Amino acid sequence: MSILISRHQKIFGIRELYVVFSIVVMTILFGYINPRFFSGEALYSILTLATELGIIALGVSFLMIAGEFDLSVGSVYAFSGLITIWALNSGLSYPASLFLSLLFAIAIGLVNGIVTVYGRIPSFIATLGMMWLLRGLLLAITGGFPVGLERLPPEMIIYTYQVIGDLKASSLWFIALILILQIMLNNTPYGNKAQAVGGAPGVARALGVRVERVKIGAFVISSLCAALAGQVAVARFKIVEPTAGQGLELEAIAASVLGGTSLAGGIGSIVGAALGALLVGVIRVGLIFAGAPAYWYIGFIGFLLIIVGIMSIRRRR
Amino acid sequence: MPLGGLKGITKSLWIAVSVVLLVIGVGAGYAIGTSIAPVKETITVARTITQAVEQTVTVTIAPTVAPQYTLYYISHGGPGDPWWAPVIKGAELAGKLLGVKVVYLGPEKFSVKWLVDTLQSAVAAKPDGIIITITDYRALDEPLRRVIAQGIPVLAVNVYDPRPEDQRIPYLGYIGQEEYQAGYQLAKYTITWFQRNMGRLPTGAVIGIHEVGHVGLELRAKGIQDAFKEAGLAIPEKLDITTDVTKAYEILKSYVTTRRGIEVIFTLGPLGAHPAMQLVRDLNLVGKLFVSTVDLDDKIISGIRDGAVIAAVSQQPFAQGFLPVVYMYLYVRFGIMPPSQIPTGPTIIDKSLVDLVLKQIRETGGA
Repeated sequence: MSILISRHQKIFGIRELYVVFSIVVMTILFGYINPRFFSGEALYSILTLATELGIIALGVSFLMIAGEFDLSVGSVYAFSGLITIWALNSGLSYPASLFLSLLFAIAIGLVNGIVTVYGRIPSFIATLGMMWLLRGLLLAITGGFPVGLERLPPEMIIYTYQVIGDLKASSLWFIALILILQIMLNNTPYGNKAQAVGGAPGVARALGVRVERVKIGAFVISSLCAALAGQVAVARFKIVEPTAGQGLELEAIAASVLGGTSLAGGIGSIVGAALGALLVGVIRVGLIFAGAPAYWYIGFIGFLLIIVGIMSIRRRR
Repeated sequence: MPLGGLKGITKSLWIAVSVVLLVIGVGAGYAIGTSIAPVKETITVARTITQAVEQTVTVTIAPTVAPQYTLYYISHGGPGDPWWAPVIKGAELAGKLLGVKVVYLGPEKFSVKWLVDTLQSAVAAKPDGIIITITDYRALDEPLRRVIAQGIPVLAVNVYDPRPEDQRIPYLGYIGQEEYQAGYQLAKYTITWFQRNMGRLPTGAVIGIHEVGHVGLELRAKGIQDAFKEAGLAIPEKLDITTDVTKAYEILKSYVTTRRGIEVIFTLGPLGAHPAMQLVRDLNLVGKLFVSTVDLDDKIISGIRDGAVIAAVSQQPFAQGFLPVVYMYLYVRFGIMPPSQIPTGPTIIDKSLVDLVLKQIRETGGA
């Protein structure tokens, strides 16, 4: 198992180089088009965007490394936000509301994991089902109306506090989460098992790894990350729309893949996923600075994904 | 992974290819859509010219060659929604005529998060003005107040902040339709039409709502219900007819065929009006069962012509694109304050106005 992992770890560095390289190229290009792109405001705007997507991408990436997908993160993101708003509006304190929404995320992660692992259903289908189930519930419960926060609890400043200029505290939480998950993935037995389970489940099982438990744990991590991103969104927007987070799951997978995570499992890094989210942020904000219609963004991401896809196939050969 | 030998060469090759592709992708896209680099240079020239003109107090009427100002038009309506096509066209034409660079930004999918994020990025680009739909005043309140405090002028379009004057976001003005009034005026017109043409009040009506929870549509529906209440008539029920025209047709069919006395189907947009008109024709009830609707297109006009539709409310989307650019230009260039409300509707379109509206649809793509 250790040989397996050390091989992967060497690859991480090279994989991350591609996304760093892309970020540099994009930044120079957008800065050339509009020199204001090099301003602090642009950077803060990019970081704000990258933070919410990135927190989700970290969890999704962790799960992808363990060999599974989670398409329900967009729905969990919206639903956990809704739970927080309900709890706060009904008079509960923020820590209690946060606890409830994280509890919900853990439950969804467990269900996703158990259904996938013990039901022997591909995670793509199991979490697709969960994604629609939660979205349907959201629409039915809210009647299609956005739900607003009656008053913002003072504790939520831990996400919105402006550290320097427009740089929000949520970006620092994002960095903290990167460190925690990166250490967890590379320096703990659980992380090593997750990589082994994703890369070579048969070998991992033969070596005595309890594949099912490891995978279920990764599903819970993915769900928890989505719920945390939901908290950041509630603090920023003070509302949850029933359609919030639609499409975020695919954006998170795209950020992970751009950051070097393999769709086949076993390969990838947390730092890579964070950089992938940063690249997505650079492109989104850069296009606005360039004055290009915003819908080009999707085309750009698609273009990059194809290139990264081709490169990773070539490397594997 | 070892970097030597053939593998290393292949890798370097791929890096090179990806750089070239990236550069081509960005460069081509940028060249097709915006050609900003030359604009950047000419902006300075244009500013110098403007300063010179100001100093000698000479007014030149010739259109400005290069964009003098950059305005961001941020809306919740993406290019996938045909209703917004005339809006985009209007904003672009006004920009061209005035020498203003207008950047229209709309999401692929309705999203308040997208709107706030895009606003934030657009502000960082330091535009001369921002035109925005106040799709959710709670989410936009804080960011927009910050934008206004930075001295960037903001105009609201299409959806406004519904709170009282002293609480609302201090934007310069609102350009668009009052949604409640659109429904209210349509229902009042329909009731009067019945009195004039049938010599009596309608015996029953229903409202087909295609997006439950859409605040604008809900307000239209409320306007219709209030007008019926005021006239002492039974309040029309709201039916969730979905955005799927096949479902809408079946839902409306089962409602009107199982309820007695339904004479009017109110719809709140073309997505409801099209199946409703089809139903009236299929049931051979033209002249007995009528459609009254908000928004217009050529199909609805044909309905007004053949009598399936009593009237439609137009909010003239082209004007919602064109006028804010003009008002923002007047404000930024000359310091002219726009009025706090500039209505582009509701205008009731019946048989007498069909030809005029056809011209608008032909010229602008919508009405």
